[in-house]
Amino acid sequence: MKVLFANIEDVMREAAARWTLIAYFCLSTLFVIIFAFSVNLDVVDGALAGAKLFGNNVNMNGSSVSIEKVVLGFESGFSGFLYFLCTFLAIFATAHLVPRMQEKGTVDLYLSRPISRFKLLMSRYFAGLILAGTNIAYLIGSMWLIVVWKTHVVHPRFLLAGLIIFFVVATLLAFAFLIGVVTSSTAVSIMSSYAVFFFGFMLAGHKRFAAAVSKEWQAGLINGLYWVLPKTAEMFGAVISFVSEQRLPRELGGALTPTPFLATGAFAVGCLALASWLFHRKEF
Amino acid sequence: MNVIEVRGLRKTYKSTLGKRVTALEGIDFDVAPGELFGLLGPNGAGKTTTVKILLGLTRATEGTATIGGLPVSDPESRRRVGYLPEGHKIPGYLTAKQALSIFGRMSGMTSADLTARSKELLDVVGLGAWGDVRVKKFSKGMTQRLGLACALVHRPTVLLLDEPTDGVDPVGRREIRDLLQHQARTDGTAVLLNSHLLSEIELTCDRVAVLRRGKVAVAGRIEELTRTTAQYRMVASPVDENLLAAFRETGAAVERVNGHLVLSVHDLQHLNTLVDRTRSAGVMLSELTPVRSTLEDVFVDLVRTEAAQ
Repeated sequence: MKVLFANIEDVMREAAARWTLIAYFCLSTLFVIIFAFSVNLDVVDGALAGAKLFGNNVNMNGSSVSIEKVVLGFESGFSGFLYFLCTFLAIFATAHLVPRMQEKGTVDLYLSRPISRFKLLMSRYFAGLILAGTNIAYLIGSMWLIVVWKTHVVHPRFLLAGLIIFFVVATLLAFAFLIGVVTSSTAVSIMSSYAVFFFGFMLAGHKRFAAAVSKEWQAGLINGLYWVLPKTAEMFGAVISFVSEQRLPRELGGALTPTPFLATGAFAVGCLALASWLFHRKEF
Repeated sequence: MNVIEVRGLRKTYKSTLGKRVTALEGIDFDVAPGELFGLLGPNGAGKTTTVKILLGLTRATEGTATIGGLPVSDPESRRRVGYLPEGHKIPGYLTAKQALSIFGRMSGMTSADLTARSKELLDVVGLGAWGDVRVKKFSKGMTQRLGLACALVHRPTVLLLDEPTDGVDPVGRREIRDLLQHQARTDGTAVLLNSHLLSEIELTCDRVAVLRRGKVAVAGRIEELTRTTAQYRMVASPVDENLLAAFRETGAAVERVNGHLVLSVHDLQHLNTLVDRTRSAGVMLSELTPVRSTLEDVFVDLVRTEAAQ
């Protein structure tokens, strides 16, 4: 535990010193503030009688809408947006953790301590998760509180959607660690993680792509990649589906099912296992 | 029992094109508790590779290395090892106290123990007033002192130091030398020093091993390696050519060097004959001392031999 806490302190101090942490939370706060002041709702007897967005009246066609429905619709749409924002910010703020540790003159200071390389790598991974997780909790928690404050509708599913986003961040961070161990480059780690994120989205249509190619091995490759890479599209669908309690189009995961979670989790575990093995074998 | 034991250590690196480069070709050495041991050698001789193997930073191709009886592949072997790498980069965003705290806890120390230890160590390395200043504001010499404090923070029984006085001023060098000798003599710490500063090694270490092309070319106690030669340094006046001719008649080789004479003699009796001749010529003898070779002479001889081969 001493090693874990020492690493967490190291990671947090570094994030603060490099302005990563401050910028990370400032951006999130800015976003929260804009949201808090841009949305003004006029709720009468549990129904939305009028709404203003950035000072402009929203056309309600003279009818009132159930505030519960408005909140549900808003939160499900917004959770999708936060899925992208949180994931991108988190990877940007944490992908340097391994490359920075592996710098010549620094890695010796860490590895000359009586801790196994596995423990060292994992403690930095957990430190990264705490950094990312804190921001996700802050961003989603703030938005949720603003919605409760403005509408008096308490809908905890939006809050819990943060767990799915955190799960995706943990998966991509595992991949960023793997790339970091191999290349010792922060830029490559960030780019690769974003690439995997987008590939995951593209491969949601793997059946159509596989049907369109002429060779069997090409179809096999597309299907194989689909099963290997994290299911970022399905996770996106899962976030919205979870918040809205509605079934989504099939390509976005349809309903909440455990398969995309299991496949994505397996990818994360595989990345961490490979990163640990390579880090253990690496000579400095 | 030796704290560090190295037996038949070999290391071959593979280049990206598959070519093999041998860094170590089966070296052996031991370091006992309380001993100051120097590792010398020209660039590429294998010094850094040896230290890296001892720390588990790289793996030996063959042979064994143990610290405190544990194989170096076991992280526990580093429990009581302090290491100061050459060109180390203590994160600049940490203050001196934070650096000691983080690296101390990584070595298993408790926060309570660290508070007192940090203060004590920062005073010892002359950074007592700099504990709350970020490392990025430190000069090279100060960073080096802090690196030494980080290596000592968990009270190690083995110290592996790579160029510990690099960038440190002469007074600081002396302080570091005194500190290392105190660690060895008082606390029984085994110190392995890897340095290019031969005078530092000569002044600090008890024993050295000189590596050449991945092998131990020479090893032994400093006084054995820098043994007395058959040469003597004579300061006398006035010395004229007649006296030098009289010395040469006896078979001695004589050389004038910076106002004194360097005499090469066969033995002590021969030396006394020269002294008799000096006195009988009415020359006033003010100094006669044996010439010892320095560690630098030993080192340069080895490097020249290598170049000749």
